[in-house]
Amino acid sequence: MKWTPFSFVVINLARQIRAGEITFSGVNSTLPMIACLLAKRAYDFDFTYINVAGGVEPQPVTVPLSSSDPAIVHGSAAIFANQDFYDLCARGGLDLVFLGCAQIDAEGRTNVSAIGSWKNPRVRLPGGGGAAVMLPTAKRVVTWRADHSTRALVDKLDFVTASGHMTALVTPLAVFTREPQEGSRFRLEHFNPSTSINQITAQTGFRFEHSQAQPAPPPTEFEIVALHDLDRDGSFAATVAG
Amino acid sequence: MTLVAGLRAASFGIPFQPVAGVHGSELARVNHWQTLRDPYGSGTDVYVIPAIRPDIAVIHAAEIDELGNARIYGSPFWDHPLTRAAKRVLVTAEKLVPTDRLREQPELTLVPGFMVEAFAVVPGGGWPGSMHPDYEIDYPAVERYMADAPGVLEQHLSEAPEVAGLAAKARS
Repeated sequence: MKWTPFSFVVINLARQIRAGEITFSGVNSTLPMIACLLAKRAYDFDFTYINVAGGVEPQPVTVPLSSSDPAIVHGSAAIFANQDFYDLCARGGLDLVFLGCAQIDAEGRTNVSAIGSWKNPRVRLPGGGGAAVMLPTAKRVVTWRADHSTRALVDKLDFVTASGHMTALVTPLAVFTREPQEGSRFRLEHFNPSTSINQITAQTGFRFEHSQAQPAPPPTEFEIVALHDLDRDGSFAATVAG
Repeated sequence: MTLVAGLRAASFGIPFQPVAGVHGSELARVNHWQTLRDPYGSGTDVYVIPAIRPDIAVIHAAEIDELGNARIYGSPFWDHPLTRAAKRVLVTAEKLVPTDRLREQPELTLVPGFMVEAFAVVPGGGWPGSMHPDYEIDYPAVERYMADAPGVLEQHLSEAPEVAGLAAKARS
């Protein structure tokens, strides 16, 4: 099975999910939302999936374009709304949180506040949506980019919105991982076999260790079937150009 | 989350609210947030967020009775802290229902009528957002509104259900 940019991002996000854990996806997080739904279908283990729309173990009939659409509450036996999941995170009860980024550096710090200076930005971004609290209090945080560019993967952030327990960054080309500890830097763990370490280096703004890097294990039949089931008309795949 | 900490401080009637995390974020510097050392001796420094007391909270509910008791289905998102922190609460609702209906399941009433200054019954008032379980997000309307072009805002406003409904009524 060959990777596409979309399948590489979603399946490698799903592979960050572990058995028995409580896993959360938030706003503007369509790819991690699909990854969580994929893991439920493709993997032979249980984990708890909660989301920003208040869903707990939802059984959505359709996959909505927005990851905060009440459609992903469908089938939930409980509503666990915003105050509850933020407080759960704050007290150390969220094992894995997917948090987005506009920029990210080698130590997994994120910028979702401003491009340019804070006072006079070129682009004012939507803001953290709780990232400054969640990144240091979740046990593990995973992020993603639908593009792999020196614009997003930077040596120095324009602004540090959040800092903490980032453990993985997934792009259409690469999977970087680090330990959730201060000073730990991203290293290249897996790469898309359609690319090369040289190409990844050229498209990454921070320096990274890659001596142990391996091609990502190919997608399994279960992963491919689940992904197709979640994106039958290919409309989500179209959002990841690579 | 820090925003909600500010709303919580206001709803608790105190000047600030401790919040987990924030360490390592430049948001603390640009917002002048301070830390306090745990006075009970754990040695932990905790960020404290100043109270945010909105003048008015406006929320959209599924059902309301003539006393202003407002019911919500599904996730309340931030409606609880918002309505408790604000000085005044205004509600729009999909439909007016008899108070006896709310008495059947009082736990579904998110805002009791004594807190509500005024309300309006606006079917479709959540548009182009969703209103669980009555209707979903109108994605095509959101996408049209996102276009940066002349007349887009006016077109969007004229499509709003309460405006479009009135226009249809006037024609008939």
